[in-house]
Amino acid sequence: MKALILVGGFGTRLRPLTLSVPKPLVDFANKPMILHQIEALKAIGVDEVVLAINYQPEVMLNFLKEYEAKLGIKITCSQETEPLGTAGPLALARDKLLDGSGEPFFVLNSDVISEYPLKEMVEFHKSHGGEASIMVTKVDEPSKYGVVVTEEATGKVEKFVEKPKLFVGNKINAGIYLLSPSVLDRIELRPTSIEKEVFPKIAAEQKLFAMVLPGFWMDIGQPRDYITGLRLYLDSLKKKSSSKLATGPHIVGNVIVDETAKIGEGCLIGPDVAIGPGCIVESGVRLSRCTVMRGVRIKKHACISSSIIGWHSTVGQWARVENMTILGEDVHVCDEIYSNGGVVLPHKEIKSSIWKPEIVM
Amino acid sequence: MGIAEERVVAVIMVGGPTKGTRFRPLSLNIPKPLFPLAGQPMVHHPISACKRIPNLAQIYLIGFYEERDFALYTSSISNELKVPVRYLKEDKPHGSAGGVYNFRDLIMEENTSHIFLLNCDVCCSFPLPEMLDAHKKYGGMGTILVVKVSAETAHEFGELVADPITNELLHYTEKPETFVSDRINCGVYIFTPDVFTAIQGVSSQRKDRANLRRVSSFEAMQPDTRSLPSDFVRLDQDILSPLAGKKQLYVYETKDFWEQIKTPGMSLKCSSLYLAQFRHTSPHLLAKGDGTSGASISGDVYIHPSAKVHPSAKVGPNVSISANARVGAGARLISCIILDGVEIKENAVVIHAIVGWKSSIGKWARVQASGDYNAKLGVTILGESVTVEDEVVVVNSIVLPHKTLNVNVQDEILL
Repeated sequence: MKALILVGGFGTRLRPLTLSVPKPLVDFANKPMILHQIEALKAIGVDEVVLAINYQPEVMLNFLKEYEAKLGIKITCSQETEPLGTAGPLALARDKLLDGSGEPFFVLNSDVISEYPLKEMVEFHKSHGGEASIMVTKVDEPSKYGVVVTEEATGKVEKFVEKPKLFVGNKINAGIYLLSPSVLDRIELRPTSIEKEVFPKIAAEQKLFAMVLPGFWMDIGQPRDYITGLRLYLDSLKKKSSSKLATGPHIVGNVIVDETAKIGEGCLIGPDVAIGPGCIVESGVRLSRCTVMRGVRIKKHACISSSIIGWHSTVGQWARVENMTILGEDVHVCDEIYSNGGVVLPHKEIKSSIWKPEIVM
Repeated sequence: MGIAEERVVAVIMVGGPTKGTRFRPLSLNIPKPLFPLAGQPMVHHPISACKRIPNLAQIYLIGFYEERDFALYTSSISNELKVPVRYLKEDKPHGSAGGVYNFRDLIMEENTSHIFLLNCDVCCSFPLPEMLDAHKKYGGMGTILVVKVSAETAHEFGELVADPITNELLHYTEKPETFVSDRINCGVYIFTPDVFTAIQGVSSQRKDRANLRRVSSFEAMQPDTRSLPSDFVRLDQDILSPLAGKKQLYVYETKDFWEQIKTPGMSLKCSSLYLAQFRHTSPHLLAKGDGTSGASISGDVYIHPSAKVHPSAKVGPNVSISANARVGAGARLISCIILDGVEIKENAVVIHAIVGWKSSIGKWARVQASGDYNAKLGVTILGESVTVEDEVVVVNSIVLPHKTLNVNVQDEILL
């Protein structure tokens, strides 16, 4: 089986992290976002992943070479020279996706994190016999999204309603599709939207079916959702394989700590914290609801909550970092500094407190 | 009696409970003059400066507070100084000069040759012996301590002009609307007993005028023209202004620090000035430590002997910690006043703040401000028995007594 991952552009919503690496390589729960998807695909027997990308393909491929060997999966790139929307990239990658086997292929949106029940999706696709399957997820506020209206018993999609003002349903497109090769015949090589132009036609022919995604779903394309997404991910990890979570008297709630990270005495870590490889957390540190990326040093008595600490940054002694503070790569917060929602671009030294949420260029 | 038999009396004006409203919420719990700066009551700093006056016979504190408020302090300080310190309560407001005049018999009881008059709410090095020498040299009735300030701030004080050669006071005006001079009145004076004659003169003039006015009942009913009570005499407007340029008043200029202590924020600044002064005057009061046996100390720090500070905490600069306070492991204190019985828990941070009596700061909590002493919320103030729960952040805020904070606050006054 094959899969296409829609990687897209600059990832501006996840800046300043995406100033250092393409968005799919931004770490989430101690591994690059895209690896969550590639590993899930590999697990159900996908042997080739095509990345639809229009920015820094070399960086992506260099990085993913390592994982090609490690996971035993072929990773190639399909580069857009102009943005092709959500359907155009499928036409561009047509030759890579068609192998004559007639098997359906996956299309995944790289911003989305979920439990990836791909095996169930393959079964669902076989059972309904239609041309395309899409995963839908229930949300509290459907008016913000494109709502998928389905026939309750079969899951057959009746229509798509973009940002409905009146309630028509609470299931939205989760950005995970399983498509039969014939779908490719419906897509022209031009900028086009799969949700607005391709799926409505298939639905009109009664060949589009939706499966409700069990478990959590989160678009982690921006910092606030990234932090919420980590909580949902760790909740799910606890249920599935709780041995991956850290334990000990200094841990509260769900926490993952890379085995190469070091944690000092008298710390209190959690809930909902990810500490990446090579991190040093000195004594007396408090961490909650935050991501600490590879190579970060948190000095003594610092306190961090609801924040993302980018690669190789340092947080000084008695510093306080909170309220959606996002530190880009190699940022140094000096001793005793307070950051309330500071968004800091890479390679900066923060010598005076950030009292109110602001961007530090 | 020979000339050698000089007897000096010092009078410190301490004000009253209705006066220090700008010092709230701290003055809700303690008379402002007893609020600790550098670990010592505010009034202690002028009092200990009086120790250096030769032939000091007596110190009087004059104010509107109840006698019992000062009883404990005056008895202990009298013993310590070996000079009687006595609190005198004014029955009603007499004005700054009238208040002293009201107690003239007590003040003159010692066959007094010179009277120092000090305001309690100023913070300076109180160069009193130097003023006394200058005063004797000038030979006037009074000498005023003055300091040079910026032209922008001078209008908040009594501005004055003095002869640069003779140091005679030529002109005095209280809080003028336009700029007169960048030299201001520090609120510290020395007088010969003749000052009582001058005050009496103002008082009897008032009486005469009041008698005249009685003729016109219409005028007496107008609030604007209603005259002050005859025994109400202000030092600045009624004595200094009229006597300027009459070869009776002189000035002595200090080059040292000088500040007025009106607000809690300023008390933190003044605490730092007094701590710095301790390096010369009372080095034994400054804490020392490098984190091996006691806490690491940085800069000027006062720690009361009964306070307990964990060796892994770091304290200073400009910190004073009062009696029975406890500072936990890994706590960090910078530029703050920690009052009696406060508990600072593990890894908490306090910066530019005053933490009220018996308050509690939770683990990894943070109590901080910008440190702008003149801004209304430039120093975070916690009143008595305020609880800041674990990990809560309090920034640029004033919290009245007995509040519990379990969510972050910024730029707020919490009643």
